[in-house]
Amino acid sequence: MKKLVMITSVVLTLTLVAGCTNKSAVRYGDANAVETTDISFGSTDLQKVAGEMTDSLLLSPVVGTLTANTRPIMFVESIKNKTSEHIDTESITDSISTKLLRSGKFRFVDMGRVEAARKQLDFQQNSGMVDQNKAMQFGKQVGAQYMLYGNLASIVKTNKDQSDVYYKFTLRLMDLESGLVEWADETEIRKTKGKEFVSW
Amino acid sequence: MLNILFKTSSYLLLTIVLSSCASTSFSDLFSNYNQQMSAVKKAQQQGDFQQALSVIPERSEGNGSFTLSILEKARLEYLLGNYSVSQQDFEFVYRRVQEADQAAKVQLSRGVEKAASVLSNDNAIRYEIPYYEQSMLNSYQALNYLNQQDFTGALVEIRRANLVQNNALKANQKELTESQNEMAKQGVTSESLSSKYPSMNNVIGKVKNGFQNAYTFYLSGVLYEANGEPNSAYIYFKKALEIYPHNITLQKDVWRLANALGMDNDIPMLKKRFSSDIIQINHRSNKEKKGKLVIIVENGIIPNKEEVSIHLPIWSSSSRNYKFYNLALPRYQNKVRQYRGLSMNYQGKQYQSEEIVRLQSLAAKQLQDQMPGIVARQVVRLIAKEEIRQQMSRKGGDLGNIFANLYNIASEKADTRSWSTLPDSIHILSTNFEPGEHEVKLTVNGNLRTINFRVNEDRQTLIKLTAIGSYTNYQSFNL
Repeated sequence: MKKLVMITSVVLTLTLVAGCTNKSAVRYGDANAVETTDISFGSTDLQKVAGEMTDSLLLSPVVGTLTANTRPIMFVESIKNKTSEHIDTESITDSISTKLLRSGKFRFVDMGRVEAARKQLDFQQNSGMVDQNKAMQFGKQVGAQYMLYGNLASIVKTNKDQSDVYYKFTLRLMDLESGLVEWADETEIRKTKGKEFVSW
Repeated sequence: MLNILFKTSSYLLLTIVLSSCASTSFSDLFSNYNQQMSAVKKAQQQGDFQQALSVIPERSEGNGSFTLSILEKARLEYLLGNYSVSQQDFEFVYRRVQEADQAAKVQLSRGVEKAASVLSNDNAIRYEIPYYEQSMLNSYQALNYLNQQDFTGALVEIRRANLVQNNALKANQKELTESQNEMAKQGVTSESLSSKYPSMNNVIGKVKNGFQNAYTFYLSGVLYEANGEPNSAYIYFKKALEIYPHNITLQKDVWRLANALGMDNDIPMLKKRFSSDIIQINHRSNKEKKGKLVIIVENGIIPNKEEVSIHLPIWSSSSRNYKFYNLALPRYQNKVRQYRGLSMNYQGKQYQSEEIVRLQSLAAKQLQDQMPGIVARQVVRLIAKEEIRQQMSRKGGDLGNIFANLYNIASEKADTRSWSTLPDSIHILSTNFEPGEHEVKLTVNGNLRTINFRVNEDRQTLIKLTAIGSYTNYQSFNL
């Protein structure tokens, strides 16, 4: 009985202490800082993947010859999510295409906004509100020459001591006319989380 | 007299305090989960899911059964067609399970729950979602994503479901031996337990473990094939076939893919196992363009765990002899309900659905594996309660004895918690269909229904049908 009373008092104290230490505050942080909140796919992984891939693409000799005298037109297909997490792969392709555009070596067409563009052209052509001499014409868009696409796959293992996750990101550049894959690269990430020994 | 009252009240207070730390509501300690859920299941049986949702017992976030009540809610939201709400609820539970998996090896809060359970019962311990419920969670989540036209999301959930089953396979044997050792330490032998505990053999049937869910494997296969990964699909169909070796739909799928993928090692073996009807289907010569129809039928509602009281001899090392104790244990009734499933007539041929999972069997097998651990905790508890009764009777006389006895009887409750809005049995049926719009009459558990769907050339159409009592509903997906 005495033991039980002891346990209860210890438990009560612990609960009170735990209740008092929880204070929240809002801060601004560095967007490029390493984020290790948990083991799942995070901002650091996204930045690493997008950064390494664009560097590799821009530095590759093949791409050097492709972009020697022209700025080839590309379109980004999609990154297939083959992991066991719900990852927004569009934000990876967004980062990559933004970086490539910024390099000034490539131009892009955006397949995600075709419908919006069609609506605008339709408005200019058929609404009767736009001066026909200044209206944009249908059928003048330029087709993409290259397609950028890839996969994000993962292997997850867990045991009683730790969890381990391995990501492999593959990106490829295909010449749409010949069907040849002109460039490909992959980047890997491994994250391991050891379990704590004691916690509340 | 004052002394007795003081003792009794301090005893009760202790339980309340401990149980509030362990965040279990008082009612959970004195009434069974199956009783609390009976109103929900009654409404669900009548197909009134809105009513069922409204009578789920309220639980606070810190309550040990909180995740379980979210599971029940998510399933009912799914049945109501609120797929995004259901998806968020399932995601919440999934994240809780992940957190628990990655939590520290020693969690002080669990110690407190265990301490509270020694004075009351197993309901004070946080509900751990068993593997078969986790795989069902991810399977429903996949359907939720499909209902929201997110095929990639559905595939993510399928991968999660299979990850759960892989982890379960690794953990299972170890947990089994550990809990048996635990029980032996408390002076109970497996033989004496199995002689007293009511048999569940009819329910368990041929199930070898409580986590390998053939339905999840089959759904994985269907989705992988739709995603253009026939090799992965083949592996999952084969896994499902291992569990249900006589399922004709599975046999057809395995045979078809084995030939398409040129699995030369497997084909001779499959030839020996399958009947000539299946082997004679020659897929290569089938040049006419067709689509494939896959129907999944959920039948009924899974039965509850029940409380059973057994009288068990336990070896006491202090008095060096056997003492008899009454144990309140959970169990499943040893009978299975038969479902006729679905029958359909198409182009003059009769098709009949077949079972792909009996969730009650998985649940019962799971319970059987957990039983040694449950008994071990129960014995510790009985001995502690008996100790307190003796002390109170010594110090408080008859009154103390009565108080202690009353409390002990009232708090002696089996842990009957389980996800109880799940279906009882799931059937599958698949066949080739002409492309185009279809209106097909079929019989589901004796009720006539007409369903409309579209079949695309060389693609699959998945129909998910729910049949509870006289209620039926379906969704169709063009994969």
